[in-house]
Amino acid sequence: MEKFIDHCCEKCTHTKETPCKDFIRCCVEGPICHEDPACVAKRKAIIEKVAINDQFVIC
Amino acid sequence: MYEKHLMICGATGCLSSGSQAVEEALIKELKKHKIKDKFRLVMGGCPGFCEVGPIIVVYPDEVFYCRLKPKHMAEVVEKHLLEGEIVEHLLYKGPDTEAPARFFDTIPFYAKQKFNVLRNSGIIDPESIDEYIMRGGYRAFSRALAMEPAEICEEVKSAGLRGRGGAGFSTGLKWEFTLNASGQKKYVVCNADEGDPGAFMDRSILEGDPHAILEGMLICARATGANEGYVYCRAEYPLAIKRLKIAIDKAEEYGLLGEKILGYDFNFKINIKEGAGAFVCGEETALLASIEGKRGMPRPRPPFPAQSGLFGKPTTINNVETLANIPLIVKEGGAAEFASVGTEGSKGTKVFALAGKIRNTGLCEVPMGITVREIIYDVGGGIKGGRKFKAVQAGGPSGGCIPAEQLDLPIDYDSLNKAGAIMGSGGLVVMDERTCMVDLARYFLSFTQKESCGKCTPCREGTKRMLEILNRITEGEGKLKDLDVLDSMAYSIKDSSLCGLGQTCPNPVLSTIRYFRNEYEEHITDKFCRAGVCKPLFNYRIDADKCTGCTVCAKACPVNAISGEKKKPHEINLDLCTNCGNCIEKCRFDSIIIEPVGREADVSN
Repeated sequence: MEKFIDHCCEKCTHTKETPCKDFIRCCVEGPICHEDPACVAKRKAIIEKVAINDQFVIC
Repeated sequence: MYEKHLMICGATGCLSSGSQAVEEALIKELKKHKIKDKFRLVMGGCPGFCEVGPIIVVYPDEVFYCRLKPKHMAEVVEKHLLEGEIVEHLLYKGPDTEAPARFFDTIPFYAKQKFNVLRNSGIIDPESIDEYIMRGGYRAFSRALAMEPAEICEEVKSAGLRGRGGAGFSTGLKWEFTLNASGQKKYVVCNADEGDPGAFMDRSILEGDPHAILEGMLICARATGANEGYVYCRAEYPLAIKRLKIAIDKAEEYGLLGEKILGYDFNFKINIKEGAGAFVCGEETALLASIEGKRGMPRPRPPFPAQSGLFGKPTTINNVETLANIPLIVKEGGAAEFASVGTEGSKGTKVFALAGKIRNTGLCEVPMGITVREIIYDVGGGIKGGRKFKAVQAGGPSGGCIPAEQLDLPIDYDSLNKAGAIMGSGGLVVMDERTCMVDLARYFLSFTQKESCGKCTPCREGTKRMLEILNRITEGEGKLKDLDVLDSMAYSIKDSSLCGLGQTCPNPVLSTIRYFRNEYEEHITDKFCRAGVCKPLFNYRIDADKCTGCTVCAKACPVNAISGEKKKPHEINLDLCTNCGNCIEKCRFDSIIIEPVGREADVSN
């Protein structure tokens, strides 16, 4: 998972054709539809790569 | 993980002062030390302080380096990035700081600013949708999708947002008109045809945070029932257009534009229409005509675009800055937060482009209600060269001037209107004592006269006649009754022109006559331009008591009109002098005097 649009695992089904209503919140706070620390870590890794400081992320 | 993030200003202002070369030199240095992968470089949006560009801000240290040149990059890499030591001589230093300043907290330019619209500029990579989402982006749109359209309009109304393009009409009310208009097909149009001389607010927003505009348009579409949008942007903003195109592609990839967006029964697509740069196309009906492929000319209203706009369909037209405010208002609790800033009648913040004779040229975002004095002196750092503030032109060629006596005027829609100026889109052109107010009025009127589309007689013919009179006055051929004619014509043009261009273009003339009538009279009766601008109306003379014979003026004179021995007072040969002003600009002893033609009176005061 290099971008938020990439699937974190096979449980994520968000695509342009099969959209998820929670997609935006899921990008930063997800996953929302399932629990998996590995999927949380994947999102965190994307954020940590570019967050310039502790106040960067706004939920 | 990167050790540090280096945000290089990649907006048009810094690019033109060499930020691309600075970036290349930085990359070269990082490669030389084999540390390129440890540091992240982003050509980001504008941090606003154009005067001191090119700028790099190093995060998380929050160190603000300015006036950079490629040769400085070796030092930045070796000292700061490798040894953790700040390069002091590249920090901001100004007459307003005691010691070199590091960042927002210590640079006076930023002290009174509040970043709403510019919240992401210089913070994120404008080409990354992920970074926009991390900063809370598209959350307001997600929320809007679950709301009723009327509820969204109500929230925008309750926030008190007024259009930032110039007229200041209630944005929520405008949306409500389109929502209530009948028809299946509706449009949202973003007016990015920023044409005021010296104004670049919209360009910077588009370059620094393009997704904010897309999100604003999406929310507007959801609120009004539109399913297609256009961004009308002038072609002379290539970087803004490039970044908008990237943003649209990304939003489509993420399913935020297209059909059944995020699973809701909501479709929306955005097109970009590049304008050819006609000033009149900033007027909404001319803009719509231009998108339709017709000549950019206004049409009478009603019907207003909300009833019959683009291709005859109900259309909402909002300016770039207005749309950039929308995500902040529609987010959870955003309307009240937005309304807590500003004045009773003018809520939120306003972005201004500071230009002219001001020390800190650039872009600033300040709360509505801030005074002219605070903007000029606290944010803008005062007047260049220590000269006296004379006036500020607010609202571009459609606006008016605010004189020094009104320095404590609060900047909000109503106060500016009462003073004879307008908020306009946010251009502030600052003038000092060397600005001739008659010439200023002539300049702005010549601009609007050239840009008049010619459709209606008052604007087409009236501006031409007014300009002829102003030309005559600046050439020493004016008559006192010209002032009454100018006044009467100005009101006739305002009252009878078809569109906003004609209705507002006499404003610079009216406001300069109102506040600087003595200057007009001096041009007419004394044949004297005390600012030293209208060439037939003054001579330069050297004050022998003040001249030190330093020879700087003589060297600067392009026609060898100044002569004299070294260390002895010099003289100007008026037969050769072209009044170019090089000597007065260079003289460090105030020994060059501006005086009326044919008289030898000291009128330097």
